[in-house]
Amino acid sequence: MATQAHSLSYSGCNFLRQRLVLSTLSGRPVKIRKIRARDDNPGLRDFEASFIRLLDKVTNGSRIEINQTGTTLYYQPGLLYGGSLEHDCSVLRGIGYYLESLLCLAPFMKHPLRIVLRGVTNDQVDPSVDVLKATALPLLKQFGIDGESFELKVVRRGMPPGGGGEVFFSCPVRKILKPIQLIDPGKIKRIRGMAYSVRVSPQMANRIVDSARSILNKFLPDIYIYTDHMKGINSGKSPGFGLSLVAETTNGTFLSAELASNPQGQGAAMLPEDLGRNCARLLLEEIYRGGCVDSTNQSLALLLMTLGQQDVSKVLLGPLSPYTIFTLMVARGCQFLAYILIL
Amino acid sequence: METKDQKKHRKKNSGPKAEKKKKRHLQDLQLGDEEDARKRNPKAFAVQSAVRMARSFHRTQDLKTKKHHIPVVDRTPLEPPPIVVVVMGPPKVGKSTLIQCLIRNFTRQKLTEIRGPVTIVSGKKRRLTIIECGCDINMMIDLAKVADLVLMLIDASFGFEMETFEFLNICQVHGFPKIMGVLTHLDSFKHNKQLKKTKKRLKHRFWTEVYPGAKLFYLSGMVHGEYQNQEIHNLGRFITVMKFRPLTWQTSHPYILADRMEDLTNPEDIRTNNKCDRKVSLYGYLRGAHLKNKSQVHIPGVGDFAVSDVSFLPDPCALPEQQKKRCLNEKEKLVYAPLSGVGGVLYDKDAVYVDLGGSHGFQESEEVRPTHELVQSLISTHSTIDAKMASSRVTLFTDSKPLGSEDIDNQGQWMPKEEKQVDLKTGRVRRKAIFGDEEEDESGDSDDEDDEMSEGDRLENSCSDDETEEGPDAEVTDKQYMSRKGIKRQKLEMEEDFEVDLPAFADSDDDLERSSVEEEAEEADESSEEEDSTAEEERDILESKAVREGGKPELLQTDDSSDSLNMEKSLTRKKATFTTSDSGHCTAEEAFASEDEPEGNSSLSTEEEDSENEEAIRKKFPKPQVVSSQKLGSGNLIDETSDIEDLLKEEEDYKEENNYSTETSGALKWKEDLSRKAAEAFLRQQQITPNLRKLIYGTVTEDNEEEDGDNGEELGGLFRVSQPASECKHKADSLDCSRFHVEAPHDWDLEEVMNSIRDCFVTGKWEEDKDAAKILAEDEELYGDFEDLETGDVHKGKPGPDTQIEDVEEEIKEEIDPSAEESAKKKHLEKKRKLKEMFDAEYDEGESTYFDDLKGEMQKQAQLNRAEFEDQDDEARVQYEGFRPGMYVRIEIENVPCEFVLNFDPHYPIILGGLGNSEGNVGYVQMRLKKHRWYKKILKFQTIPLYYIEDHNGRQRLLKYTPQHMHCGATFWGPITPQGTGFLAVQSVSGNMPDFRIAATGVVLDLDKSIKIVKKLKLTGFPYKIFKNTSFIKGMFNSALEVAKFEGAVIRTVSGIRGQIKKALRAPEGAFRATFEDKLLMSDIVFMRTWYPVSVPAFYNPVTSLLKPIGEKDTWSGMRTTGQLRLAHGIKLKANKDSLYKPIVRQKKHFNSLHIPKALQKALPFKSKPKTQAKAGKTPKDRVRPAVIREPHERKILALLDALSTVHSEKMKKAKEQRHLHNKEHFKMKQKEEEEKLKRQKDLRKKLYRIQGQKERRNQKSSLKGPEEQLK
Repeated sequence: MATQAHSLSYSGCNFLRQRLVLSTLSGRPVKIRKIRARDDNPGLRDFEASFIRLLDKVTNGSRIEINQTGTTLYYQPGLLYGGSLEHDCSVLRGIGYYLESLLCLAPFMKHPLRIVLRGVTNDQVDPSVDVLKATALPLLKQFGIDGESFELKVVRRGMPPGGGGEVFFSCPVRKILKPIQLIDPGKIKRIRGMAYSVRVSPQMANRIVDSARSILNKFLPDIYIYTDHMKGINSGKSPGFGLSLVAETTNGTFLSAELASNPQGQGAAMLPEDLGRNCARLLLEEIYRGGCVDSTNQSLALLLMTLGQQDVSKVLLGPLSPYTIFTLMVARGCQFLAYILIL
Repeated sequence: METKDQKKHRKKNSGPKAEKKKKRHLQDLQLGDEEDARKRNPKAFAVQSAVRMARSFHRTQDLKTKKHHIPVVDRTPLEPPPIVVVVMGPPKVGKSTLIQCLIRNFTRQKLTEIRGPVTIVSGKKRRLTIIECGCDINMMIDLAKVADLVLMLIDASFGFEMETFEFLNICQVHGFPKIMGVLTHLDSFKHNKQLKKTKKRLKHRFWTEVYPGAKLFYLSGMVHGEYQNQEIHNLGRFITVMKFRPLTWQTSHPYILADRMEDLTNPEDIRTNNKCDRKVSLYGYLRGAHLKNKSQVHIPGVGDFAVSDVSFLPDPCALPEQQKKRCLNEKEKLVYAPLSGVGGVLYDKDAVYVDLGGSHGFQESEEVRPTHELVQSLISTHSTIDAKMASSRVTLFTDSKPLGSEDIDNQGQWMPKEEKQVDLKTGRVRRKAIFGDEEEDESGDSDDEDDEMSEGDRLENSCSDDETEEGPDAEVTDKQYMSRKGIKRQKLEMEEDFEVDLPAFADSDDDLERSSVEEEAEEADESSEEEDSTAEEERDILESKAVREGGKPELLQTDDSSDSLNMEKSLTRKKATFTTSDSGHCTAEEAFASEDEPEGNSSLSTEEEDSENEEAIRKKFPKPQVVSSQKLGSGNLIDETSDIEDLLKEEEDYKEENNYSTETSGALKWKEDLSRKAAEAFLRQQQITPNLRKLIYGTVTEDNEEEDGDNGEELGGLFRVSQPASECKHKADSLDCSRFHVEAPHDWDLEEVMNSIRDCFVTGKWEEDKDAAKILAEDEELYGDFEDLETGDVHKGKPGPDTQIEDVEEEIKEEIDPSAEESAKKKHLEKKRKLKEMFDAEYDEGESTYFDDLKGEMQKQAQLNRAEFEDQDDEARVQYEGFRPGMYVRIEIENVPCEFVLNFDPHYPIILGGLGNSEGNVGYVQMRLKKHRWYKKILKFQTIPLYYIEDHNGRQRLLKYTPQHMHCGATFWGPITPQGTGFLAVQSVSGNMPDFRIAATGVVLDLDKSIKIVKKLKLTGFPYKIFKNTSFIKGMFNSALEVAKFEGAVIRTVSGIRGQIKKALRAPEGAFRATFEDKLLMSDIVFMRTWYPVSVPAFYNPVTSLLKPIGEKDTWSGMRTTGQLRLAHGIKLKANKDSLYKPIVRQKKHFNSLHIPKALQKALPFKSKPKTQAKAGKTPKDRVRPAVIREPHERKILALLDALSTVHSEKMKKAKEQRHLHNKEHFKMKQKEEEEKLKRQKDLRKKLYRIQGQKERRNQKSSLKGPEEQLK
């Protein structure tokens, strides 16, 4: 059958998400071999397994085969189905890990996706839910994905290692994406932020805000950093604090930076002042990189550009992140409009 | 007196003249003209009812909006592909004749035999691809999908035929292409009236099928076996001016109607295995959407394939160049039909072939064939040549022919196998030629050897050569090289390509490079025509090498700051981190920056740069570049991640190239060496195209090759991309995270660093055209004086710098050069435009609707799409946007079944349909289906789809048969097709179906993979013990476990008593206790209704009709029904006896007598008591009276008495009648008398009363008179 010759083959577990997401979007089966084959602990990790389970949930009729050691994965994508779902994400990675892929898939479902994700909302590895909400959602809106049902809500905040956060994400279905012309980033007109603290003193957040402002105020007066202190059941299972900053330009592009405290019991304790300052610097770095899309969302923007109609879309990006580069590689492998970048 | 008789003039009261007069009269009276009743009588037109007004307004608005279509981006290519005209009709209706006539009409050429599509230029802007469609249903289905226009031929003398309607229905399913009916055989009508009638009848029937008013063309008759010229001309005009509606399916998929097919398989493979999978190339115009390389295509009748390569060729049937004249000249009237052998020159990707048909070709082939055959025979043995020789000798001796012995004397090598195939007469000649070849083979390559020979040599020698060379080789069998030299050169160049060390990313640019090298080589070739091939090759290589090496130094020379370039070079070579202490580098960078941006501003804003840069890629990455210069300028130590470095590196390299280009163009030194210059240009192109593409897609090849083995060396060269590649390999199992961590953060406390991004904020410096102060000033200029009404201040617009300049210019207008004048004009225009914009914004705002905005947006996008690739050449363009419709493309496909090539029939269309993203997959497809109303039977369960109907509770219940006149659901395992696509079902595609062949039509609804179709299942059981409402039931299940599964389920008896399953019983296995709402009878049958899921069989068998042998292509049959199988195998169906019909025999019903209990009997009244009296028995013998036997005499007496009595009775009867009559008359008389008597009495009484009355009156009178008289 034609489908067999048609399947893709990779080795190594890196970029598993892109590979699976693009395979789902292109409908081509994918085979990934040698997943951590040389590792002491070979095979798929928990968070990857959870991701595959999530994919299985949002699709209909997918076939997933994993060998005994978990080093080989065969994934035959089904139909993107959507609907109301719930998923318990692994606490090894943040919800952002899962959400990033869902953002790519959600507009192409059969039924509008409404999903509750549980796990770690903010961690040091993945883009946090706050940042995605502040940057990825406006980006998707540029593509014509909007409406009342398009929302991302942090119901509970959960920090590693315990997790216990909860996020609600809903996205309408759009078969046709609008082409975008983002070639002028404009000037940054305001900076907003969110300093959160859970299961620590609420004063922490204020200290973060002060230190971050001390740096950013040199550039712009219009800065407002919200403090978000969640209590009780909404505060998850582990203590922690952090800051996410978003700079908005006159042309409606968003650049972001974030930093979170070390998880409980790992690494040295972090001073909130340091964290605030470092995060502000990270934002400046991001501004320095420039572009109409910030570095975490580059791949999302490019992917949606390829998935749109045959119209020319333009976007100005800063230096490509490795993640983006490899997404593009995988995209080409999947026979999506290659050469998107080289206009 | 005479004048009096004349008629008086009558004024005219009607007609135009009278009206005019009336009007004038009214105007004189100042009553206004009649038409303006609204003005004259405004009350009559006033709003009478607001509701009605609103309603009418709504209605008009509704009608208006209904006309709107959702605006879509216009994607029609600038040069559209030829329009597909399908000429369809039943056999013997005149299709081929029509095509011939049409071709002759457009091109003045006559095609005797038409096979496959014929492309012709029909006008300045239109080309047509005409193809004939027979009545094979496969062909009809395939062509209906690709047709733009259908010419539907109808035999008027016969009327409509089934094929016509079938085709119309097929068209309907796939979106209706334009359909034009053509009536032929109109000359067979004798009477004009009948003809007219027939025309009308056919026209109306046609209209009901297509749409009312559909064009029906009449071809009145034949002249010398052809249609009349004038009519054909008219038809041609109709076709050329016809407009087409885009069809959804066609515009969303790329498709090709192939007009040429070549087998590219390695002949060696075919030799070893005749049935091996083939590699073919198909040619045709791309239509519909853009086609990407390496995508999947479906070839109806063959199957799904992955395209191994696509390339575009020069248009074989190009539209004429734009000229201002009305019609085409003869040269431009092209016709292209390779399958029919027209358009003799064939342009392949890398060669040009001339098909020498006709008398010449025949002779030549006669001569040539033997050599070829021998070569074939040499190859076709599976052993080595030595072994072959040995064996052949032996076999020859056994063969021993008189002429053959000569050959043996001449030559030791012989092919007996072949000889058997070859017939005797020609065989001899052939052999001779072969042996000549053999000699030449030994002598070596020389230029004057036979064409075919060289081919043969190559086949023998270079089997392991590059596969691209196999193309021409394979085609040699029936074609001759036109430009043998060209091809040879090509080949050499390709070899050279491999030898010359290419830059790292050359693999993707092979074609580009090749073409340019070819050019270069061509120049060289002209000069050295006589040189032998090997020398030529060497020279070429040397030259190119020289170019390659020479290019660099030259370029270096041109640069004013060569040391800085060197620095850069070293940067690119090594993967070093930037240490920016080197001031030289810094200056170089700045120099570049200043070159790029005249303003030399170092802000992060990118608008100026954008305008400067030519390549879009540059547009995308201006920032890092600027950043780098800043970085260097600030003198900080920078250590970015390797990827960024790569980017920067690419960027720099690009810049470098840019520099070269600007500088070399200015230099005159190299003008003398043109070839070098060309080479340089080529090199430049080579090095510009890499950069980001190389970074991203260069490594992906690595990634794919990873499995085969590490071949990073291949990509070596200028850019060491192997580095990131190996890194990626290293990182194969690394953390998967989208965050882009900053490896070397800046020190944001430093003022310089802070300044570098200060302009990114609104508080920073703005660009010239966006600075608020500047804009304000400009506005002021524009509007000049204005008065603030509130304050009463009067602002005087001071003459701005522009106007001042203008004034000055006006003064010295004579002296200034035209450029200044132009600029002034431009400024003026600009000003005007701005004013106009302002005006538009002010006044047109209200009118532009949402719809208009949307349309405008789409138009803008379309313009953008066009503009983006407008100035790029096709080679580059196809890489970005894919092959665009309208191109003539060549598609290579591998692993095609050999039958496709062996049984190739040009009469059957080969269509390549591009598949969308997931359309190549196979899955469950749900459809809404309806049996076609003209299909005689209903569809049964023995078809591929399973039919179902949705119950009100959402359950999808299996149907055994399709409903007669209703839609039903259907699902099957098949190719994933987008929702909303129409589909068509036929019972069988083989051509021997008598009736209407289309069984069902419908539409794809869903692609759900988890559909659940259920089937009703009734389980029956019998009570074996009955209590009050509880019964024990057996026979429904087989085990207690089964019962347990159905506990609580609802059951029912046939008579309607409902119940429930309670619990399994121990005793008979599978029995259970159940309760009912009433007591059961032993004769009751208990049943339970359940639903059993039905699995859709995952069986998908695409039609492979094109693989059938020629002439049997319409006999493909997918599956046989069990009935057909049974018939074929002679298996008789064993009928279930219970299902047979038997005569109904009713048994006589016996009723028992009524039995009344004794007690009841006693209590009954006598009347109701059963009477116990026995029936009167037989009269005893003694009571029976004996019969009387009379004597003859007595008998006589009796007879007489009888007679007498008869007479008597008759008499009596008569008398009675008479009496009766008499009585009647008497009665009448009496009545009469009575009446008269009454009358008399009445008269008498009347008389009496009158007299009485008179008397009374008299009395009264007298009594009245009395007192009067008394008074008197």
